[in-house]
Amino acid sequence: MSNNQIKNYNLNFGPQHPAAHGVLRLVLELDGEVIDRADPHIGLLHRGTEKLLENKIYIQGTPYFDRLDYVAPQNQEHAFCLAIEKLTGMEVPKRAQYIRVLYAEIGRIQNHLMNICSYAMDVGAMTPFLWGFEEREILYEFCERACGARMHMNYFRPGGVAQDIPAGLTDDVRAWADRFPQVVKDIETLLTENRIFRQRTVDIGEISLEDAQDWAFSGPNLRGCGVPWDLRKSQPYDSYEEFDFDIPVGKGKNDCFARYYLRMLEMYETCKIIKQACDKLDACVGEPIKCTDNKFTPPKRAEMKTSMEALIHHFKLFTEGFKVPAGETYCAVEAPKGEFAVYLVSDGTNKPYRCHIRAPGFAHLQAMDFLSKGHMLADITANIGSLDIVFGEIDR
Amino acid sequence: MGVNSKPGSQALAPIPQGTEQDVLLKAVSDEIQDRGFVVAQLDKVVNWARTGSLWPLTFGLACCAVEMMHAGMSRYDLDRFGMVFRPSPRQSDVIIVAGTLTNKMAPAFRRVYDQMAEPRYVVSMGSCANGGGYYHYSYSVVRGCDRVVPVDIYVPGCPPTAEALLYGLLQLQKKIRRTGTLFR
Amino acid sequence: MSEALKELAEIISAKLAQEITSTEIQNGELILNARRDAVCKVLTFLRDDANCQFKLLMDVCGADYPARDERFDVVYNLLSIRYNLRVRVKVTTDEDTAVPSVTDVFSAAGWFERETWDLFGIYFDGHPDLRRIMTDYGFEGHPLRKDFPLTGYVELRYDDEQKRVVYEPVKLTQDFRSFDFLSPWEGMQGQLPGDEKAEGNA
Repeated sequence: MSNNQIKNYNLNFGPQHPAAHGVLRLVLELDGEVIDRADPHIGLLHRGTEKLLENKIYIQGTPYFDRLDYVAPQNQEHAFCLAIEKLTGMEVPKRAQYIRVLYAEIGRIQNHLMNICSYAMDVGAMTPFLWGFEEREILYEFCERACGARMHMNYFRPGGVAQDIPAGLTDDVRAWADRFPQVVKDIETLLTENRIFRQRTVDIGEISLEDAQDWAFSGPNLRGCGVPWDLRKSQPYDSYEEFDFDIPVGKGKNDCFARYYLRMLEMYETCKIIKQACDKLDACVGEPIKCTDNKFTPPKRAEMKTSMEALIHHFKLFTEGFKVPAGETYCAVEAPKGEFAVYLVSDGTNKPYRCHIRAPGFAHLQAMDFLSKGHMLADITANIGSLDIVFGEIDR
Repeated sequence: MGVNSKPGSQALAPIPQGTEQDVLLKAVSDEIQDRGFVVAQLDKVVNWARTGSLWPLTFGLACCAVEMMHAGMSRYDLDRFGMVFRPSPRQSDVIIVAGTLTNKMAPAFRRVYDQMAEPRYVVSMGSCANGGGYYHYSYSVVRGCDRVVPVDIYVPGCPPTAEALLYGLLQLQKKIRRTGTLFR
Repeated sequence: MSEALKELAEIISAKLAQEITSTEIQNGELILNARRDAVCKVLTFLRDDANCQFKLLMDVCGADYPARDERFDVVYNLLSIRYNLRVRVKVTTDEDTAVPSVTDVFSAAGWFERETWDLFGIYFDGHPDLRRIMTDYGFEGHPLRKDFPLTGYVELRYDDEQKRVVYEPVKLTQDFRSFDFLSPWEGMQGQLPGDEKAEGNA
């Protein structure tokens, strides 16, 4: 045998790759088919959101949050609204909180459906994609009914929500939530016991609790290690403490399969929350859906026809916006992907002084090199899929 | 468009819808069975083929990519127009620029476009790709993907619904038919 | 919550009297202002001390205050799953002074520090791989600084002659419209025109 040194092979994965879940560019160093180093190049969707936020008034800023993690837009808005409410001390009425919970959970299902189905497609299963997307269409209909937009709702506003949900929506949502667990079960029959799927995911991308904490994992990726850490339970916001639900946690290794299965289980729990939110909403029909202080939230259209003061409020809010007292806050929500947080610094004017967005995917993708080392090239897609990555929020 | 068994007879008429179409297609296939060939105008046949199998590239950049996927999935089902998403630029005819095109992505986008075989078409989807949209004033966003590649169809919206994209793609078919040239 | 935070603040400031310059509780959140050169020590303490157990470094980010002597803040947000608490550590720096990198304490700091370097130009000493992360390859400047214009300096288009994408100085058909919303009455400094005459007469 000659002792020729075989040089490592460099492979460029992306930026246009169907399994990259967006515009990820991975520079891989391969030793044969084994990954020596994975260097993710991100920023290919860097749109300067944080800079734009500094230049727009607060209510002009909320739609940017839709466009961060565009798979579950509602949850992002939620964080921004909570941050503003914390700084201004706005009181959010109960009904608004329930509506927000309802839509945040709808967003969670949208996200998990997208993640699991596209993940399944990356490792070779087409059918879940077709089934899951039909359900997403139905969820989009619910969004459309509440605010008129299918995806980017811009529905959560500082102080509440933009408008009340239409009559009859809760009945339809409840009927859907009764039916939906069966769909999840159907998808499970295709994946959970599927031999190919198991071979592609079990023991791939394993991470221990210490490492997961070191890499600042959150959400399902952290819970896969067996920690029951969920901000909805531990630091409840918007009446989550009134809801009865469980947090699925991993029982053994935190590998790609565990993370997949956890998301599946989370969808069942989310259905429970959705049903409870519908019941609570039915019990408080007609109550206010936004903060009654018209210095922060616009008055009703009908009121503006008769009241001069309402008209002035409306004009001021949509030209100048409201002013947020000086201060800073770090406000986190349990987004479907993990801890999504907004670090908001206000200097007392009508625009954020600094608004940093903490995206869960950013920390998760960072561990890509750690997770992929020593795995085969084909496992890269399994790893990317199981981390649940969306570039809108990572690149911002 | 129109594959005619007798040249000149109904050269410009579009293929009728519904049962009439079936009759026409049956006549064509009968003729092929009978005589072994069929006579038609080349450019018409070419355009018929082009519009009937527009294969888009899976070029999802941002939010619009989700709506693009929805358009391809069970409810809107682009397959029925012969549109099958292809992962490789070498196999695709149309590139749907679905999302914000940033400065960092632009060279890669142009390269992907250059790799596509002629005739190639570009559909700019969503306001970011049309002109920067919500991110127009950002330091890192290309203010419209038409600064980088020539665009055939603009689909407005933020994001355009799957239906809007579908409509845009049908407009593209119409445009191809109307232009009706062999070389592009 | 705030009781626990107060206690914690006392414990930390007693143990790290040299390293922590001040503590404050704002909106129910504990903020520790630390000395720049001691940031590794502070974070290690917060991670390992039995009373703290802040094992997750959720976020590192910068903030720019051009009017100050040391214009930048580097903000570290930590989370303790054990005690269900959050803490924020802040250090200040300027354009030329490096902040010690905390990548040895928390692996997660790697990309966050790269991002802060990219967007603010804050240099992190001892970072293993301090490259730009968000902006374009070959980007110049640090976009989130307050003196960086929103639209940047360059824009991009495809040049048909050179057959490649080229950069050009930014040309906008309509500038970004930024309104000054400070009310003329609140923003008015000193005298109104004509006031000086009134004073002379009185």
